[in-house]
Amino acid sequence: MASTLFSHLKYSDSLTVVAISIFTAVVCEAISWLLIYRTSSYKSLKSTIDKASKKLETMKTPNGTSELTKKSKTKKIDRVETSLKESSRDLSLFKFKSGAVVAVVLFMVFGLLNTLFEGKPVAKLPFVPLRIVQKMSHRGLSGDDMTDCSMAFLYFLCSISIRTNLQKFLGFSPPRGAAGAGLFPMPDPKTS
Amino acid sequence: MRERKSAKFNLQEQQQQNGHLSPFKFAKLFDPDASWDKDQLGDVLHWIRQVVALVCGLLWGAIPLVGGIWIILFLVLSSGIVYGYYAVILKVDEEEFGGHAALLQEGLFASFSLFLLAWTLVYSLAHF
Repeated sequence: MASTLFSHLKYSDSLTVVAISIFTAVVCEAISWLLIYRTSSYKSLKSTIDKASKKLETMKTPNGTSELTKKSKTKKIDRVETSLKESSRDLSLFKFKSGAVVAVVLFMVFGLLNTLFEGKPVAKLPFVPLRIVQKMSHRGLSGDDMTDCSMAFLYFLCSISIRTNLQKFLGFSPPRGAAGAGLFPMPDPKTS
Repeated sequence: MRERKSAKFNLQEQQQQNGHLSPFKFAKLFDPDASWDKDQLGDVLHWIRQVVALVCGLLWGAIPLVGGIWIILFLVLSSGIVYGYYAVILKVDEEEFGGHAALLQEGLFASFSLFLLAWTLVYSLAHF
């Protein structure tokens, strides 16, 4: 492990945290691929969202039309938008159910890291974090030096940066058209 | 008045096999006459931010540069580079891509985390 190979480094444990984060990210994406991305349901939902987004952008491009055509165009845009929101919600729900397995894996890994590094600073921050961030960055550490970095904060940084970029690289990022729609969208005022 | 180029949406390019990247040539990265798909431009801006984050993090951790002010500087620098790329080099019409905010936020959070991670790791390992 890193702590043996780089034992002369004071914060060699940070390399262990990073290595475990990379491994966990690969495992989580493999699980996600198995349960989500390779399924026909996900592929068809993603394709629907992509097509609807592109159609919406084309329809919203202004061109010279009469008042009558503008009204029907607005109705068509509303229909496509509603359909896009529904597909995005279905996608979120689908990923949520399968994502429970990934959540269990992440929880277990965090528990393992916590056992290994509780109460021990694994890195030194080159800045003093904001007070609200200190609750995570100084979690479980003794003393008043707020530049001591706990495992939790380093693991958080690793998770965000490594997982996001791995998903992007593998093409597993959610489609941009679905970005605005969540699992529990607000009711559309036009339909009420 | 600054010359603006409108993007042409190439619907044919959406017949993609495995999601996100159409066939891509590096020459297109610096060609202001090239047509850009929204997803392609977003991806390029994302990766530009990640590279800037990694370089800044490694460099500032090695020197080392210490203090919260360097976080602000990184954010300004990376946003400036992204803005300079799409507005000056590519000369795209940002309205076609959802405005400046949409383009500037591509990959922002991931790059910020990557910057903090690289900066912290290099600083911790190289100077203690």
